[in-house]
Amino acid sequence: MTASPVQASLTRPADEEKRLAAVRRYQILDTPSDKTFDRIATLAARIFDAPMATVAIVDADRVWLKATHGLTGVGEFHRPQGLCTSAVLHAGPYVVTDAATDTHALAEHLAAGELGVRFCAAAPITTPDGQHLGTVNVLDTRPRKPTDTQLEALQDLAALVMDELELRLSATHTVTAERDRRAEAERLTRTLQRTLLPPALPTVPGLHAAAAYHTASPHEVGGDFYDLFPLDDGRWAFFLGDVCGKGADAAALTSLTRYTLRAAAIYDPDPCAALANLDTVLKGEYQGSAPRYCTAVFGVLQPLPDGCFAITLAGGGHPSALALRADGTVQPITTAGGQLVGMLPNPQFVQTTTRLSPGDSLLLYTDGLTEARTADGSMLDETGLVRYLASATVPVTDDPAAGLLQTVEALLSDLGEGVSDDTALLALSVPTRSKNRTQENR
Amino acid sequence: MTDPDRLLTITPRQIPSGPYVLEVSGELDHHTAHSLTEAVDDAPFDDHGVVLDLSGLTYCDSTGITVLITAYRRSQATGSPLSLAGVSPDQMRVFQVVGLDQVFTFHPSTEEAISSLRK
Repeated sequence: MTASPVQASLTRPADEEKRLAAVRRYQILDTPSDKTFDRIATLAARIFDAPMATVAIVDADRVWLKATHGLTGVGEFHRPQGLCTSAVLHAGPYVVTDAATDTHALAEHLAAGELGVRFCAAAPITTPDGQHLGTVNVLDTRPRKPTDTQLEALQDLAALVMDELELRLSATHTVTAERDRRAEAERLTRTLQRTLLPPALPTVPGLHAAAAYHTASPHEVGGDFYDLFPLDDGRWAFFLGDVCGKGADAAALTSLTRYTLRAAAIYDPDPCAALANLDTVLKGEYQGSAPRYCTAVFGVLQPLPDGCFAITLAGGGHPSALALRADGTVQPITTAGGQLVGMLPNPQFVQTTTRLSPGDSLLLYTDGLTEARTADGSMLDETGLVRYLASATVPVTDDPAAGLLQTVEALLSDLGEGVSDDTALLALSVPTRSKNRTQENR
Repeated sequence: MTDPDRLLTITPRQIPSGPYVLEVSGELDHHTAHSLTEAVDDAPFDDHGVVLDLSGLTYCDSTGITVLITAYRRSQATGSPLSLAGVSPDQMRVFQVVGLDQVFTFHPSTEEAISSLRK
């Protein structure tokens, strides 16, 4: 069982490359000390009744000690010095019975070392594909003749080290794979979310528009959507809504809804007709066992010569839009009675009109906001939102729509955990007259 | 680990020569809605009708509403009357917003729903 250390010099560079790759793969070098490996070193020393033992990993130019017993202040040493360097080339245990009488250079080196080591026994830590990562070693300052039983036990301990490294590697792989999967899912979610919303709102002359999307969970694609786009007769159309469900199915429905509404608006921009069109398309697409619906508000903006905008709004099961008047009052523009789109036999959609004068804003939102829970556990509801907006100080900025959204975002942030669903927001504001005149004079 | 299905409990009950009652309590959302879908599928939807007792419902999201509409469509298709009982004021407001207050028949309690269906 005793082998000559002469073989240490026979390492082929290509083999050593493979071995070093295996050492890297197990990610053990320079990790903190660890009770499991410390116990193995202690057990090795006890089996040989020897004062010192180590669990050593052989790196390119050093021997790094994962665990030590009876050695203090030694963490690693330069590779050619180490017994392990030779032992890693042997499938079985490697023994120097008495370094003092061994004429080989390595043995002399050991004997001359400050530890005064004369006896070494080492068993290689071998990967399933036959790469030797390092050794479990027992060292003594006295010459020894180990028994076969002791050497077998040492091999068992080396195998135990390998099992533990294997286990940790597979745990690391599982964690890494899981992390990769999650990162990929989140990337997909963000990509998908971007396709559901316009990249930027268009510039409507005489109007400020701002939109925001507040996600309740970073892991799930929500089903809220909005858009603002020109019609070919100088008018503008906008919509905002919410599809039922979550995840990829909801995203597919959102996408279908958004493009159907845009196409419907070109075909017939009457708001109720657009919703009826969407209803027909959803029923056709989702007939059968998994029916799905959405709620939406669809509107048309007609710019008027006096700088005001006439708005026609139709609702299909959607919360009321809110008009924030120049004098600070908040007026729900209700489409109550309008029913959800895509699932009911003969849904009713309700149309209403309003007018945005300079200083007025219109806020559209999804029910993630109004169904949020306040601190006392009750639902915020439309009344709570109206009360908040009536008392809130909307920041005075060049962009009143953005200012209004900031105010609503502050509310969402206050509600915090109470917001359990995604919320889409769309604000349309007509700047005050003085502002308008300044712009016109430019 | 908590079984998400345990957040929703559905107890079916056949009233002798009366409606089939499904007592729904807990959270009805996209994690749990499938159990109610199955329970609605198993309901007879005969001449005596079906009552969904929602008095123990603490949460209902859009997926939950989908299941309720599915039950409504089943009742329309079979001609079997459907009643919702014990709907909370918060839930009622949600139904009003989506326009379902015009669709369902509501009763304050299961007892009232049963006696109404027996008439």
